[in-house]
Amino acid sequence: MKQFLSFVIKEARHILRDKRTMLILFVMPVVLMLIFGFAITNDVRNVRTVVVTSQMDPQTQAVINRLAASEYFTITTAVATPREAEQLIRSQKADMAVVFGQNFAARKSGVQFIVDGADPNMAQQWTNYATGIIAQSPQPIANSKLLYNPQMRSAYNFVPAIMGVLLMLVCAMMTSISIVREKEQGTMEVLLVSPVRPLMIIIAKVIPYLVLAFVILSTILFMARFVLDVPLQGSLLWIFVVSTIYILLALSLGLLISNIANSQLMALLLSAMVLLMPIVMLSGMLFPIESMPTILQWVSAIVPPRYYIAAMRKLMVMGVGITAVAREVTILSAMTLFLLAVSLKKFKTRLE
Amino acid sequence: MIKYLIQKEFIQIRRNGFLPRLILVFPIVIMCVMPWVMNQEVKNIRVDVVDNDRSSLSQQLVHSIEASNYFIFCGQKPTYQVALKDVETSRTDIILVIPPHYSRDLTNGRQPQVLIAANAVNGTKGSIGSAYLSQIVTANVAPTAIQSKVSALFLYNKHLNYKVFMIPALFGILLMLMTGFLPALNIVGEKEKGTIEQINVTPVPKWSFILAKLIPYWLIAIVLITICLLLSWLVYGITCQGNLLLVYLLAMFLALFFSSLGLIISNYSDTMQQAIFVMWFFVVCMLLLSGLFTPVRSMPHLAYLTTYINPMHYFIDAIRTVFVRGGSFHAITHQVLALLAIGSFMAAWAVQSYKKNS
Amino acid sequence: MNAIEVNHITKGYGKVKALDDVTFSVTRGEVFGLIGPDGSGKTTMYRILCSLLLPEAGTAMVDGFDVVKQMTEIRKRVGYMPGKFSLYQDLTVQENLEFFATLFGTTIDEGYDSIKAIYSQIERFRDRKAGALSGGMKQKLALSCALVHQPSVLFLDEPTTGVDPVSRKELWEMLAGLKQRGITILASTPYLDEVRRCEHVAFLDCGRIRGIGTPEQILIEFADIFNPSGIEHAKTADRIDENVIEVEHLVKAFGSFHAVDDISFSVKRGEIFGFLGANGAGKTTAMRMLTGLSQPTSGTGKVAGYDIRTQHEQIKKHIGYMSQKFSLYEDMTVAENIRLFAGIYGMKKEEVRGKMEALLRQLRFEDHANDLVGSLPLGWKQKLAFSVSIFHEPAIVFLDEPTGGVDPATRRQFWELIYEAASRGITVFVTTHYMDEAEYCDRISIMVDGKISAMGNPEELKQRFHQPDMDHVFTYLAREAKRGD
Repeated sequence: MKQFLSFVIKEARHILRDKRTMLILFVMPVVLMLIFGFAITNDVRNVRTVVVTSQMDPQTQAVINRLAASEYFTITTAVATPREAEQLIRSQKADMAVVFGQNFAARKSGVQFIVDGADPNMAQQWTNYATGIIAQSPQPIANSKLLYNPQMRSAYNFVPAIMGVLLMLVCAMMTSISIVREKEQGTMEVLLVSPVRPLMIIIAKVIPYLVLAFVILSTILFMARFVLDVPLQGSLLWIFVVSTIYILLALSLGLLISNIANSQLMALLLSAMVLLMPIVMLSGMLFPIESMPTILQWVSAIVPPRYYIAAMRKLMVMGVGITAVAREVTILSAMTLFLLAVSLKKFKTRLE
Repeated sequence: MIKYLIQKEFIQIRRNGFLPRLILVFPIVIMCVMPWVMNQEVKNIRVDVVDNDRSSLSQQLVHSIEASNYFIFCGQKPTYQVALKDVETSRTDIILVIPPHYSRDLTNGRQPQVLIAANAVNGTKGSIGSAYLSQIVTANVAPTAIQSKVSALFLYNKHLNYKVFMIPALFGILLMLMTGFLPALNIVGEKEKGTIEQINVTPVPKWSFILAKLIPYWLIAIVLITICLLLSWLVYGITCQGNLLLVYLLAMFLALFFSSLGLIISNYSDTMQQAIFVMWFFVVCMLLLSGLFTPVRSMPHLAYLTTYINPMHYFIDAIRTVFVRGGSFHAITHQVLALLAIGSFMAAWAVQSYKKNS
Repeated sequence: MNAIEVNHITKGYGKVKALDDVTFSVTRGEVFGLIGPDGSGKTTMYRILCSLLLPEAGTAMVDGFDVVKQMTEIRKRVGYMPGKFSLYQDLTVQENLEFFATLFGTTIDEGYDSIKAIYSQIERFRDRKAGALSGGMKQKLALSCALVHQPSVLFLDEPTTGVDPVSRKELWEMLAGLKQRGITILASTPYLDEVRRCEHVAFLDCGRIRGIGTPEQILIEFADIFNPSGIEHAKTADRIDENVIEVEHLVKAFGSFHAVDDISFSVKRGEIFGFLGANGAGKTTAMRMLTGLSQPTSGTGKVAGYDIRTQHEQIKKHIGYMSQKFSLYEDMTVAENIRLFAGIYGMKKEEVRGKMEALLRQLRFEDHANDLVGSLPLGWKQKLAFSVSIFHEPAIVFLDEPTGGVDPATRRQFWELIYEAASRGITVFVTTHYMDEAEYCDRISIMVDGKISAMGNPEELKQRFHQPDMDHVFTYLAREAKRGD
């Protein structure tokens, strides 16, 4: 027990001594939360709009005023021909142009939008918004109700995703590097030859990172609740239980990487390129899984954060009970058991 | 003497065994897979319908949903509550509730109130999905209303292909990963091995040591961009609309910035782990605030201000202008100058932060 | 019963046979030496005995347990200090020792007596991080960590590399104390005086046992390897009386700690100047100031006519340097390394080609010009590193413990190279812990506690302090050290 404790203390010291890494570990969640909570948004806002009209009659003016009055569009300038407008868009001075027909005032011709289609989603949204403003359609037939996130805040979507990625990063990357470093520096040899059982070495190595992961998890939840105003609808207990399963999974993954990698550089590249890339890309964090080709959807089925992020979105934001995430939790648990078993079995008690 | 230092860097990259493969294979894999993944297009939205009317008109509405390729029809549900359970277990994304007397109201010329309830945890998906659905409903209810006198012309990307939007951005991400992370590990690696000491007692000027480390990454950047351009043409049929030289010019400037940043971090770090973490931090922030995923002009003012010093933002802006919109040098002068300025500043800092005498 | 029984052990890495049919045994309570040049298979042997590696053929028993089948038992009973024992650089001296003590189920207090002789020398740095210690002090800490517990069998893989002579003596006295308690010790060392303190030694070469016997038997039988004849150094009489290094009142302080504390000396052109001192006396720090790697806190100095404070980049043009850590690029070939450093000093291509051929011939490296440096044995690397550091014909070459961990025959060849360089007029500034090498120098200084406590040619010093050889002179002066208290 004493050996075990001193092991844990030693490991904690390694973490605490590296001030820069520590700083990044704690600043990272905070900054990411702020960026995702405030800066990353798909809102239609400040769209630079050019007006193309040959004659400025009152009707046209009224429409322009309506556009300008909305918070979505900013009228930058007026030009005479669509050609000029296109020039402006091409050189990134404007995002869209509203072309009024020759006889707009006489209600004979309509309006055409020339939109910078580079970003398809935004292009469509701009058109939708502008159409809504210009057409001034009466009461809509369909009442839309946005469940769980009526203001469409992106933070609701991203907070669980940040949790998934950061916990994986901290647990898998840092554990694997810390084990590989001992191999590289030769201290592992001494540890192995000591009377301490290998299993204990592993557990002691993992515990400080477990604690670190919980601290980060709590920071994120705290920030989410009190800074970003993301309501924590579900039960905190279950959030922590599911997170623990996920953290264990990440730790076993780190252990597995440390078995494969021989140098810190390799462990870093393995965790950064082979682990992090798929996690960010295929977990549904930024890009919805159902928009991917089927084959990639299959690949994403073995990416653990996919299930964690899905479960957290439901538990935290939608506030459903544990039964609604039973499938995700089962898959996560099975993955954890599998990875844990493999990594413990693969842990080398000898050199090669 | 700089010639020998550059030669040394190349020999080391070549000998590494892993790096040359990484430099070639990684961009290929990324270019072949990521455009499919980096797709924020909203499609395959699953819809549950609660039809309280059960008339032929309501059936017609259901059929038109089934026919749309945005939606996957998940079936009829008896009540809203049952459908909501489906949302909670993520079996469906949107619920459409058709009110009783839907067909009677329609035939009487009154407006029925259809309810669309979308899971908006992902705000974009929720809002675009419900907008699509309400278009279908409106078209069903009042076929004439939709044909207003408004039309839209989408420039540069007529089919609203998301890949056209994302591929040039991928160039940026790849440049960042390859020319940023490798140099970040480079000097720290020499520190850990002790070889830097041997260089420090030679009369090598600081700038030529740093320059010798930067030049290989420029070449890597050129190789990288060539691979990317070829693949985007061969695999996706997407070609550059503007001058290719401009693409290379932008890539070189971005590589200058990222490799300088990498070397600066490397100079200040003691271990590889530190270098990677610090690099990761900067890179993620720059990437997210660059306008790669979301429009910068939607950002709050304070966040928008950071884009003035974010080279990734200038790059993304400029490369999309050249690659997608076919802009000329004139259209991106501002971005090119900004990139060059930030890049040179960072290179100067990289030289300055390398200490031969402590 | 024998504490260690090794029967026909064979082990290879790919095509290379590291150990080939090795058989020997060690009786309980014996100090047994396993000696041999770098790359002879010693480390592989230790690892097999510690159950860290599996042998391909043969059996080995340690303390009555089989190394293949009874791993857990073995690991409870043995202590092992690997050749490249590395401590946790970010933990302090005390924390390192505490950790290893607990790891082996003991405490510092319990084990203090057995490590006192060595640990007391670094104890006052106990709050310093291990990474900030000098090379020799790290080794001392590593020794303390390895010896804090008392296993029944102890394996020491070259424990004294880079350790000063006084501390080496203390270590072997400690080992003698352990032996008294019945601990079996298997150790390897490149130092002959240490070999002589073993009861039996086995000479391992290229994975095969060449001989087993008492130290004297082995040293006589393989005298050509262990005891090469001394080198004659023709003293050049016509030395120009010109100082190439002049240092006055040089100080380097780290906080309140004065690593180099007011030293003054000068070195003449073409001299071989031995810069001796115990671990942590400040040798490396002083050398780093002279080579323009660090700024002095106070004092003045001139190297090759340039000021060390302001003209350090000028100095670098006129010196060569070989650091403690091996520092050629291991992932480049011999020829590539030579071309790189020659290029850095602005040598002409044709000149480099001709000189390189001559150099390779001199080192007998002709067939290895295109081998990766990393694949060469340590002794070769050191010779190569030295040759590269004087390739551009500098005025002065600084050598920081160039022969650490190298076997006697190679060390001799190394000194031939040094003499050859000196005869061409290159001033050699060298630090070493081998006192036989100190005798080879024209003039030496001995640093104690950051100050120079004696300077002169070896003969003068021996007479002045009434000691028979340099080893005794050094011990006499270093025991005065106050820093160790």
